Amino acid sequence: MSLIHIENLTVWAGQTELLAPMSLTLEKGQRLTILGQTGSGKSLLAQAIMGNLPSSLRTEGKVTLFGDEVNAKQRQRFWGHRISMLPQEPWNSLDPLMGAQPQLQETYQLVAGQSAGEARQSADYTLALQGLSDSGHKRVDQLSGGMAQRVAIACAMAGGASVLLADEPTKGLDVSRRDQVVEQLLTQSEQGTLITITHDVAVARKIGGHMMVIKAGELVEEGDAEQILKAPQHAFTQALIEADPVNWPAPEPSTQTDKRLLDVEDLTIGYGTSALTKHLSFTLDEGEVVGVVGDSGCGKSTLGDTLLGVQQPLGGRIKRQRQAAVQQWQKLYQDPTAAVSRAVSLRTLLEDTIKLHNIDRARIAPLMQQLGLTDALLNRNSEGVSGGELQRFCMLRVLLLDPVFLFADEPTSRLDPVTQRDVSKLLVDVAKQNGCAVMLVSHDPDLIAKRCDRVINLNH
Amino acid sequence: MSISLTTTQKSGAALLLLLIVYAVFGPMLQEGDAATQNLSHIMTAPNSEFWLGTDHFGRNMWIRLADALQLSLMMAGLCVLTSAIIGVSAGVLAATRGRWLDRGLDAIVTMILALPGLVLVLIFAAIVPGSFWMLYVAISLIQWIEYFRVSRAITQRLTHSPEVQSSKLMGFGQWYIFRRHYWPAIAPQLFTIAAFGAANAILMMASLGFVYVGIQPPLAELGLMIVEHFPYYSDAPWLLAQPLILLALVVLACQLMGRGRTQ
Repeated sequence: MSLIHIENLTVWAGQTELLAPMSLTLEKGQRLTILGQTGSGKSLLAQAIMGNLPSSLRTEGKVTLFGDEVNAKQRQRFWGHRISMLPQEPWNSLDPLMGAQPQLQETYQLVAGQSAGEARQSADYTLALQGLSDSGHKRVDQLSGGMAQRVAIACAMAGGASVLLADEPTKGLDVSRRDQVVEQLLTQSEQGTLITITHDVAVARKIGGHMMVIKAGELVEEGDAEQILKAPQHAFTQALIEADPVNWPAPEPSTQTDKRLLDVEDLTIGYGTSALTKHLSFTLDEGEVVGVVGDSGCGKSTLGDTLLGVQQPLGGRIKRQRQAAVQQWQKLYQDPTAAVSRAVSLRTLLEDTIKLHNIDRARIAPLMQQLGLTDALLNRNSEGVSGGELQRFCMLRVLLLDPVFLFADEPTSRLDPVTQRDVSKLLVDVAKQNGCAVMLVSHDPDLIAKRCDRVINLNH
Repeated sequence: MSISLTTTQKSGAALLLLLIVYAVFGPMLQEGDAATQNLSHIMTAPNSEFWLGTDHFGRNMWIRLADALQLSLMMAGLCVLTSAIIGVSAGVLAATRGRWLDRGLDAIVTMILALPGLVLVLIFAAIVPGSFWMLYVAISLIQWIEYFRVSRAITQRLTHSPEVQSSKLMGFGQWYIFRRHYWPAIAPQLFTIAAFGAANAILMMASLGFVYVGIQPPLAELGLMIVEHFPYYSDAPWLLAQPLILLALVVLACQLMGRGRTQ
């Protein structure tokens, strides 16, 4: 008896086909990896299997779970204890008012059916296993993205489901945590089956098993993961694999100016009374590209806020060696949609910036061309463009201000690999051309190695 | 910002528009005014001369009701506008201008909230009985709090958000940040508060009229009319029903407008 058997499953929005017919069969102990870019419809497939698509979408085809053919409604019976889904953006799927531990305990109690005492023990044990013993009382907004991800994984696994669907389980995690999560998923899959959806080639390589490559709702390649990753047949798969940072060309050494921009001595950063990182000393030259790495929650973003003067350091000194206007110290955000007002069009926002700082309009067109932005794009607001486009728009605004220092806080972690490669290359190239120093934060050491002159590690 | 209304909201808006048209243009359709007494025509039932009949002093009810409605709508409009402006400004300032202002405003709000709203309005009304402006001050004093609390909560959430931080780093001033970040987040909430606030203002003024501390005779006011017509409920039930129905219709219109999309 196969755990999952799907025949010609399609997803429709009205008369538009969002997902072309997909068929698959998974036995106990088998793994399936679905690889594709953001917006390719791979999450739709997961939701269609799970049976939690939005009501505006319609599915066709046969879904057989645990030997019974079931419709979307009947599948709800299986949720939690037989089939479980690990959603994207874990901070949205956790209760914002509840601590991590009580939430997990509740799952053990209500879904797995343990007694209150057992559930508490299981929850404590799992949190300890995830390295979260000290954070059990924290709410989602007090956890870092990576920590929230781990709590969500623990909750999804608590019910003991034998079929686990993981939708981008490693998005925003640093490499060591990413590998931990993958290990955990693999262990889980031994007792049942695992379907992983990812855009990360490295994750796909680790999980292996059967692989489906999806592009714009169409299946472009299917087969053994190892085989596909070694010798991709389809041009799209080849592009995806090439876009993996491991396969990027090595960086060109930047032209050192040896003009000092920043001196940081014995800096301690943190919030309130709790220090995140202590005794940090480094220097930064003009036009230099420096990578910042460290585990999630170690204060990478806080370092940026402190250097930019948004937040006060708890100790130590930051000395700006160059007199530059306030707006020349800039930041790029991890989530561009959260960093741009959605109330007005991008053009209005750009105009606001131009008027405020009397920017020469002649500079805009060439820069937009370099960033690959079209004029028509500016007529939409931030919700009407893709993440990659919006991040490039943010870069446009920032670069028009002639920055001397740019703190890029995971600027590409929410983008798919091809866009990630292009955007990060653009960022580094344009910054170097303009003599702007960049501190690039990333959880991906390969990306840092291929883009930066040197690295600051916050882990010690 | 695009405004799309639900069917419920549209019917509320239509009803309100109808009432406004009556309040403004109604008195022009009949001769006479709201105060002239005609003791030979008391408590006439509605007929072709007096469309809604006359009251116990023979005054034309069609004109009196329109006048009363005008007064109620004016009070509602003024109170909503004043309390929204004060509430939103105070809320945004409290969230952005340091701890002490926030604490101070919070203390004032807590004090006002500790008193039942109607009692506070009664105290004010008792200071200068029958004054429209005193009622306006008193009702606004209570109603700005809701706007304050909503705008403060929204602004507090946004002050540390990436979008505001980004605008600050780019050198934009406070007014710009208000216009582009705070206001677009606050504005959609205001409409609902304003609709319910208007209904409350109208009800409060009527309640005061009903206990004789609001608008004084011979001015026409819905609450006052209800209590004036009360003794004649068996002789002329339609007389008592008219201000009651009108009051219910105005409040219904406001409440329907306030019904947002439920998701």
